[in-house]
Amino acid sequence: MFNNPQIYLTKVFIQIFLRNKQYIIFSLILPIVILGIVGLNGGERDPIDIGLVDNSESNLSEKFITSLESNNLFNVVEGDEDLLRNDLINGDLMMVLIIPSDMDNQSEITNIKLLVDKSQIQFIQTIEPILNQSLLSIEREITGNTPMFGLFIEDVKSRSQSYIDFLLPGIMAFMLMNLSIAGSGFNVVEFRRRGILKRLFVTPIKPLDFVIAIVLARMVIVLGQLSFIFGFALLALDANIVGSIISLYAVIMLSVIMFLTLGFSIGSLAKTQESVGVLATIFIYPQLVLSGVFFPLETLPEYIQPFAQMLPLSIVADAMRSIASDGLGLIDIYLNFIGIGIWIAIGALISTKLFVWKEVAG
Amino acid sequence: MTIINASNLVKTYKDPDAPSKLFNAVDDISLAIESGEIYGILGPNGAGKTTTLEMLEGLKDIDQGSAFINSINVQDEPYKVKQIIGVQLQANEYFDNMSLAELLNLFSALYDINNDPIDLLKKVNLEDKAKANANELSGGQKQRFSIACALVNNPLVLFLDEPTTGLDPQAKRSLWDLVLDLNKTGMTIVLTTHNMEEAETLCQRIAIMDYGKIIAEDTPENLILKHAPDKPKEVVRGNMEDVFIALTGHGLRD
Repeated sequence: MFNNPQIYLTKVFIQIFLRNKQYIIFSLILPIVILGIVGLNGGERDPIDIGLVDNSESNLSEKFITSLESNNLFNVVEGDEDLLRNDLINGDLMMVLIIPSDMDNQSEITNIKLLVDKSQIQFIQTIEPILNQSLLSIEREITGNTPMFGLFIEDVKSRSQSYIDFLLPGIMAFMLMNLSIAGSGFNVVEFRRRGILKRLFVTPIKPLDFVIAIVLARMVIVLGQLSFIFGFALLALDANIVGSIISLYAVIMLSVIMFLTLGFSIGSLAKTQESVGVLATIFIYPQLVLSGVFFPLETLPEYIQPFAQMLPLSIVADAMRSIASDGLGLIDIYLNFIGIGIWIAIGALISTKLFVWKEVAG
Repeated sequence: MTIINASNLVKTYKDPDAPSKLFNAVDDISLAIESGEIYGILGPNGAGKTTTLEMLEGLKDIDQGSAFINSINVQDEPYKVKQIIGVQLQANEYFDNMSLAELLNLFSALYDINNDPIDLLKKVNLEDKAKANANELSGGQKQRFSIACALVNNPLVLFLDEPTTGLDPQAKRSLWDLVLDLNKTGMTIVLTTHNMEEAETLCQRIAIMDYGKIIAEDTPENLILKHAPDKPKEVVRGNMEDVFIALTGHGLRD
């Protein structure tokens, strides 16, 4: 399938990578640290800290507080209003609930005051229904009304999912992107600048041989690095993979090809080592924020979501998460494959149009 | 037998000062180089020497004209031509973290052949550096190593682009000896140089290029007789370089 020069060049590229110990360590440290921090936390995000001022100190307020405390989404801190208000301003608390002194006065409507920091609006929207629910159930208990409707919530994804299970596929997708871009874009520009590419093309190898060797070598390197992280998360951090590991690796391999072609385009667009750095940054950083690696895409502003979903990293992270966390099969994520295919076509088009192989070293 | 036959070669570039204009870096030159010859191309910077070599080597497209090496058309079958030529480039950087022996093995593999790296290093007097890294070499060693790289496929024709630029006299003379030794095995050698002494010592024939054209071509002897016949020959004594060599010795320092 592959000829001897291609295989030999592949071996050399892998050898060069393996001898660069510093690079290997640095590229593994970041994901291990991030996963490690989350893993030490039991794989969960911290509960939300809310302050509570109980001016009523009645049975009713006790009940309300107990109901809040029993919800593991919250960490309730009771205290004095001025102190808690300060904590809120300092960002130590997400909100402060103030129970008025007349809470057990059943003849009037009691208003519970909520002090919030508007910048945390997204979290408040999540918490509000829970507060309402707690208040309603207490109210019913007091008035003795039988509820007309009950809401029964069933988790269709009824697995032991933790934040680390969400994070792992995203981190792996992000690593995959970085390793691939470094392997194609940066390497090509560096080899061209130093005249190494020209030296290679003095011999009878064809540009395609060179590209095949880069792709094969990076495939091995990325699979090795990702397997290491994968093993670390599964063994040391107790992460869960629901879907098929073979499907996951199929997505990874296809994604490596996609990011390599995109990396080749960056390398072809950039004439110097400085500009390849800038172009790669422009390519990588927006995706870090917009691709749902650390937080679900749904937390982004709505107008930007359709755009964010089309980013290469979003497509890969979503595909990997669909397999790893949701247990979907390859056929279920065909849309992601179409997306990856389109990006490969774009990358291949740009790099073949712009990369003038004959004049490799100018 | 003519081994390199190039007719009316032209290479056109955009003028860097006026991008709308074109200029010919190589302007209608023809070459006929005999098998077993050491052929020199001389000329000031920007005369088109390197571009001419790179067109012959299949590294740059030939815009007009044609070139044949050992009767193989460079434009039609560049990869076949690359099989039978060896090329030493002006830039000689290599992959990091690889020893000389490993690099030579790589270059052999790219021709899909097996050539013992130690034998190659012996030819260029670098066998004790087999395990060294290319960036640990001195200037002269680097040049000799890049010739070793050009020899991995036992080429019929060896192209050397300014092989002694930047070398000290010892390294330069050692490289001249190497070129003469290779030539004795029957290898055709085409080199570019700025060094007139080098051209006179090594080359059987010389082409002088300026502004993309060959302005003179002959043996060094004939060129001197034709263009500088009256200049009195120096009294029989050495020049400053001979003084330097006499004082510091012939042995290679690197």
